[in-house]
Amino acid sequence: MWPFRRRPSDAEIARELRDHLELEAEELRARGAARAAPLDARRRFGNLALTTEAVRDVWRVAHVDQLWQDVRQGWRALRHSPVYAVTATITLALGIGASTAIFSLGDPLIDRPFPLLPESRLVWIVRRSPSCASCASTPAEYAALSRASRALSAVGAASMWRGTLRDAAGSELVTGYRVSANLFSLLQAPLAVGRGFRAGDDASGAAPVTVLSYAFWQSRFHASPGVLDSSITLGGTPHRVIGVLGRDLVFPTQSDAYLPLTLPPDAANDHTAQFLDLFGRLAPGATVSQARAEAQGVSAALAREAPRTDSGAVLAARPLSEFHTDDLRLLVLPLAVAVALVLLAACVSVANLALARTSVRRREFAVRAALGGRRGRLARLLATEAAFIAIAGGALGVLGAAWGVHAMRDTVPASFAAFAPGWVRMGIDGRALIFTLCVCIGAVIVFASLPIARATRVDLASVLSDGGRGSAGGVHGTRLRSVLVILEVSVAIVLLSSAALLTRSVRNMRTGDPGVRLDNVLTMHFSLPSDVADSAKRAVYRHLDERLGEAPGIVAAGFATTTPLSNNFQGVAFTIPGQPPPANGQPNGAIEQDVSPDYARVMGVRVLRGRGIGARDVAGSQRAAVINAYMANRYWPGRDPVGETITIGGDPWTIIGVASNVYHGGLDEPLRSEIDRPIDQVPIATGDLEVLTTGDPSRAKDAVRAAIASAEPTLAIGSMLTMREMEARHVSAFVLMSGVLSVFAAVTFVIAIVGLYGVVAYGVAQRTREIGVRIALGAGARRILRHVAGGALRLTAVGIVIGCAGALFFGRLLTATLYRVTASDPTTPLAVAGVLLLVALAAAIVPAWRAARVNPVIALRE
Amino acid sequence: MTRREKLELLQGTLDMMILKTLIFGPAHGRGIAKHIQQATDDLLQVEHGSLYPALHRLERQGLIAGKWETAPGQKRELKYYRLTAAGRRQLHARESKWRALVQAIGRVMQPAAES
Repeated sequence: MWPFRRRPSDAEIARELRDHLELEAEELRARGAARAAPLDARRRFGNLALTTEAVRDVWRVAHVDQLWQDVRQGWRALRHSPVYAVTATITLALGIGASTAIFSLGDPLIDRPFPLLPESRLVWIVRRSPSCASCASTPAEYAALSRASRALSAVGAASMWRGTLRDAAGSELVTGYRVSANLFSLLQAPLAVGRGFRAGDDASGAAPVTVLSYAFWQSRFHASPGVLDSSITLGGTPHRVIGVLGRDLVFPTQSDAYLPLTLPPDAANDHTAQFLDLFGRLAPGATVSQARAEAQGVSAALAREAPRTDSGAVLAARPLSEFHTDDLRLLVLPLAVAVALVLLAACVSVANLALARTSVRRREFAVRAALGGRRGRLARLLATEAAFIAIAGGALGVLGAAWGVHAMRDTVPASFAAFAPGWVRMGIDGRALIFTLCVCIGAVIVFASLPIARATRVDLASVLSDGGRGSAGGVHGTRLRSVLVILEVSVAIVLLSSAALLTRSVRNMRTGDPGVRLDNVLTMHFSLPSDVADSAKRAVYRHLDERLGEAPGIVAAGFATTTPLSNNFQGVAFTIPGQPPPANGQPNGAIEQDVSPDYARVMGVRVLRGRGIGARDVAGSQRAAVINAYMANRYWPGRDPVGETITIGGDPWTIIGVASNVYHGGLDEPLRSEIDRPIDQVPIATGDLEVLTTGDPSRAKDAVRAAIASAEPTLAIGSMLTMREMEARHVSAFVLMSGVLSVFAAVTFVIAIVGLYGVVAYGVAQRTREIGVRIALGAGARRILRHVAGGALRLTAVGIVIGCAGALFFGRLLTATLYRVTASDPTTPLAVAGVLLLVALAAAIVPAWRAARVNPVIALRE
Repeated sequence: MTRREKLELLQGTLDMMILKTLIFGPAHGRGIAKHIQQATDDLLQVEHGSLYPALHRLERQGLIAGKWETAPGQKRELKYYRLTAAGRRQLHARESKWRALVQAIGRVMQPAAES
């Protein structure tokens, strides 16, 4: 108990005792008994060795030996009740592992997605309008904000860019951003080599320059320093490489190369084109809310200036860390709440187990106390046991967390991870680990102190006399445990019903028809040099169509402006002669889809009326358009639109057919009008190429690449994805979430049932004598059964009521992630409650049956 | 020299006496034993086998502190014990308890003297 006081060495003890003898001998000598002195002193001292040993014992017992003794006793005690030890350890490990893993998500994804930048001083500007909650801004807004804002010391812009890198190795489609010249200095972005853009780089007519991302520098140029100041051909123009961004810097999303953003001189008057992501740096002393207020003022001023186009749009400044994390927040917040519930359930369950164990051991404690075991010692013994479980549970939990983090990181496809800069950095978070340890220690304190408080309050006489079956103490303990069981049941209900909701939602997403073929399709971006003539483009389409069709494993290939589900579509404005224009004065809009004849076949788009786009729709023939069923129904309700005409860019286009609907965003987004036109009549330089394969499309990648490189080396391709991967981008996060929640739910369900069983079984064991009396007085078996099982069901019912309330509340957190399922729908919690009630009944029946079969004679004699 | 009958120590009183002895200043084990012996007129002969375990127990509990030092007028280094602040508090507590006990026992043993 006093571990810091130095223990004297054996030599020291011996020396002290020898001194004593010598001093005594000297005194005797001085008194005259010279000769016999040493002997007499020794004799008077008694047995020297015995005393030395006694002194040594004083120290020994307190130290390692006693601790060791505790450890051994604790270990022995746990080994004698392996069920308790294993259950408690696993429960704790589950709670700790799950929480560490989930809380490890928070830092890289939510709190600090851009750790290399001074995030706290950076904001991004989001444009909110009735039609779009989070959109890119217009050049007019950029100009106005740069001019007017005082809270922001600088405002920069970035705009997504896609182009071709062409060199001796061939053509490659690269993606990146055009950024304003001040953006990198505004961000204080670290550079690996060279410099970032500076004023003048973006002047029209300035020598073209580019900054590469570190990942692209490594993968494409093998991190060769010679690339700096060399010239690479991007989009057909030589660009000088002036720098490489710092390692691991991903901004704003994964990019290959950055170019300066050059806006036309009259850009400040452009109120319509929304293509700029705006970023700002807070002026010293300024806050995000000041910047937000200013941005609002700027949008109000713009709305007055150009009321038709800018009304309804509001700019808002938000911390940079929230860029791209809105979706993730939707996921991580419910998971964090869920995991906190799991942790709660785990702690409650361990406490419950510990309580049950103490109750069973009351007699043992009483005997120990009667034999002189001190309370402190008893408490230490219990604490050692608790520490065993906490250490084992904590260690297992950390292992589980490491596995969980890796599993989550690998479950999410790269295409999804690309949008969350922090995803690749995900690992066990140090703070989460410390949090875990705190929970661990907290759990030890909680579930060690509960039994200690109870065990050391043992009333010897009563426990020993009634054999531990005292009614008063038992009832008291059972009440506490009942409360804990109610808690467990309600947590289980919350998690079970939310897991059920999410699972239904994911199933709806999966079974919902996106309108396109998902299997055996490989998609990629393509890009042709911008200076290629339209006739040459047509030749490329046709040539590649043939060559790909001949390649092994490939059935057909189709060109399109955009791939369904890619969320990468653009709009086309049209008017319908004879129909009044929309009330707001704007033209009608539809998704623009320019396709080659084989596109519909590759993607499995069906023709519902008329005909699809075919080989005869070439340049010079009648301008043909296929519209989707949604558009047909919207503009020609109840009529056949085939043969009607629409006007696009002043030209009349004849509707030749109606095609089935295709989702271009996620399934949870509304359907939109779509106009498909023949690629020969609208020759596009960039777009997507869809390839139908005979087998696994991911295996066809090399064949496709080789066929294109040999047939059309000027056509650059990039971002190859199978349609399944494209789909996964929408679904995988929800699949991951529903999977995690289902595991959590299953764990808490088991915990709750085990807890319920424990309480009922223990209650029966406690009340054997009482039950015996009841039976002796004439209570029938059925009555006893009903009595015991009824108690268990009452507990479950209370837990269910609390749990259902919690489930409705938790469901509201989930609303945004649900697809075709309503969170407030009471059927899910009720169904879950029904199941839980049945299982609870089964768990209660076993001990209740045992109670009903109590033999009163034996029970009363015991 | 007639040998007087040794008195048996009441449990716990040795610790108290050691603490009391040390209130007059640091002392080594032999010094403490001698002091108790002399103060009780040789009535109490401190068993050495119990003196040293007691000293070390008190040291472990932090009530006294031991230190090897050479006292003025001594030739050699001896282990001297001194009272710590905790020891002083403990002594007061034990002393008052002991007084109460002695008084109580006294009332039983000598009821007449009380009235």
